[in-house]
Amino acid sequence: MLGLVKGLGITLKNMAKPKVTYKYPDEPLVMPDRFRGIQHFDPEKCIVCNQCARICPTDCITLTGKKHPDPEQKGKVIDTYDINFEICILCDLCTEVCPTEAIVMTNNFELAVYSRDELFKDLNWLHNNNTHIRSENSTNLMPKAGGKAK
Amino acid sequence: MGVNFEQMTPFEQQELERNVLFTSLEQVKAWARSNSMWPLTFGLACCAIEMMGTGGSHYDLDRFGVFFRASPRQSDVMIVAGTVTKKMAPLLRRLYDQMPEPKWVIAMGSCATAGGPYVKSYAVVKGVDQIVPVDVYIPGCPPNPAALIYGIHKLQEKIRYEAKHGKRVTSQ
Repeated sequence: MLGLVKGLGITLKNMAKPKVTYKYPDEPLVMPDRFRGIQHFDPEKCIVCNQCARICPTDCITLTGKKHPDPEQKGKVIDTYDINFEICILCDLCTEVCPTEAIVMTNNFELAVYSRDELFKDLNWLHNNNTHIRSENSTNLMPKAGGKAK
Repeated sequence: MGVNFEQMTPFEQQELERNVLFTSLEQVKAWARSNSMWPLTFGLACCAIEMMGTGGSHYDLDRFGVFFRASPRQSDVMIVAGTVTKKMAPLLRRLYDQMPEPKWVIAMGSCATAGGPYVKSYAVVKGVDQIVPVDVYIPGCPPNPAALIYGIHKLQEKIRYEAKHGKRVTSQ
């Protein structure tokens, strides 16, 4: 008899607690800032250094550059930039290594598609994917823990 | 439900050509099917942990009528959660064949979609669509539970759209 009351007590206590279920499809789910969603790409910042393509563990980034349209300027500008999102494992290495933060992470995770072809993301798609961009992107710019702020 | 095609009035003929008699029934069927999709309890790798987490109380797949079944005979959807090795591929095909019609497949994660980080491996199937027909692909490594819920909703929309318009959905 005591066991029954004890068990029912736990049930009644849980009834008063707030619900833990997220109302996800009805309300958008806000992910924490260091969540790894799909990348955002800014072609104006890119200097075609190829570091993202070289560090990618699955080689899913392909990019080509062309000469700067202004002959006075040195360096290159980006021509095509494609991420094969079929095999991207969202490891964040491309955004860590990018010296100009041309490629940054966003919190967008709603990426399910009906066809594999749609997972091939090109420059325009990545440029237009400009919502929920991570506020601090590079760990190099963060103040060191414990040190005095200069 | 037999239909006598010879003794049909021109009106009935016309209605039949417009598929009015059957589309509404198909839509009701699609509504019922899309709201009670029972997936097969079938996890292969780390994506299965996220799939289990989606079934837990925080994300709660039961809200959408998605209940995990322990037998392929009782399930409608196969969520391929994880890396499909070439050793596992015939078993996956057998489980798919054991499922009763109508049946759908969700490829969850990069591994099931295209091989993911094992894309250069000799032992991994490069995409589960080489073995079974896939309806929805969810990229991510692994996709978080909300992304899986989004994928399940995409599949529900697909079932309803196909019943309404009678067309196969292959792109957005």
